[in-house]
Amino acid sequence: MDDVLDEVVSTEDLMKFERTYHEQLQTGNVTQKVQFEYAWCLVRSKYPADIRKGIILLEDLYNNHGDNERRDCLYYLAIGNARLKEFSKALSYVRSFLQIEPGNQQVLHLETLITKKMEKDSLVGIAMASGVIIGIASILGLGIAMARKS
Amino acid sequence: MDQDILTTLKLLMIGESNVGKSSILLRFTEDEFYENMQSTVGMDYKTKQVTIDGNTVKLAIWDTAGQERFRTLTPSYYRDGQGAILMYDVTDRNTFIKLETWLNELNTYCNKTDIVKMVVGNKIDLPNREVSTEEGLQFARRHQTLYIESSAKTADGVKCCFEELVQKIIQTPGLWDTHSLRLPGNGNTGGARQRIGKRGLQLTDDYQPQEAYSSCYCSLV
Repeated sequence: MDDVLDEVVSTEDLMKFERTYHEQLQTGNVTQKVQFEYAWCLVRSKYPADIRKGIILLEDLYNNHGDNERRDCLYYLAIGNARLKEFSKALSYVRSFLQIEPGNQQVLHLETLITKKMEKDSLVGIAMASGVIIGIASILGLGIAMARKS
Repeated sequence: MDQDILTTLKLLMIGESNVGKSSILLRFTEDEFYENMQSTVGMDYKTKQVTIDGNTVKLAIWDTAGQERFRTLTPSYYRDGQGAILMYDVTDRNTFIKLETWLNELNTYCNKTDIVKMVVGNKIDLPNREVSTEEGLQFARRHQTLYIESSAKTADGVKCCFEELVQKIIQTPGLWDTHSLRLPGNGNTGGARQRIGKRGLQLTDDYQPQEAYSSCYCSLV
């Protein structure tokens, strides 16, 4: 593992916090703490569906709960979105965090990390797109050449 | 480059909020210091490659949040830890008293019974000291841990803290190297074992006093 975005939650942890969350859900009273802990596991899951679910839970916490936990939500919203390759969304959460705490080293580091991944991802995108263009061009060229021949 | 790395070691940093865990780590990895560090969210992670006694190891360092609301989450990171830094603030007695709780938590959740522990008294640059070196040493002796005092601000003891810890881990057979449990005499014990032997020689023959550490207290207890 190279950085915080690579970190994957263990299955036992995910199951443990999921169980507690569902138990509370059945009683109709989910505490902020339990919701955050479950979301914290979900955004670090290897499955995008889990990450999305985690993001929804964190957004809910962010909108409905106290200031102290807001920074935690923003941080893990950035992590979750970056893991889904939603880089600009992730960066917007990072920037909201830095508005509250400018100069937070942990978050500044996360910002650099996300920016790097985004650049790498867009380079891969460009490489793939140019590959597709070259492919289409060569097929077209071949087609034209064959049409001329006949 | 990668072939030269002997192993990757998992280190944990634990202790009360605001004792300086992230500051020490930042001083160690980037040689930077910030006066007003904000509290860590959940956990942070940094890696650093170090060479100790001729062995290059990669350190994977997990810096956990000390705040109460992360208490249920952080033990997840204790698993497979090979070294732990238990930190307190020498100007805040409460953080020293709480060390007992952190140690218990570590012993409960860490699956490696021989994990190497280092107690670190941080912020020795500040004047209003509440916990003496003697008390810190006593605690370390009682719990059979390493002990050092440090300051992230002046960089005193920071490098030494990690190096001592890594040295002790490498010297602990079975903690990082599965080969070391094999019987000696087997020619196939692999590079790591041979390198241990080499390092042992270096310790006795090529020992150089390291003047850079003159200002810190290193003690193996």
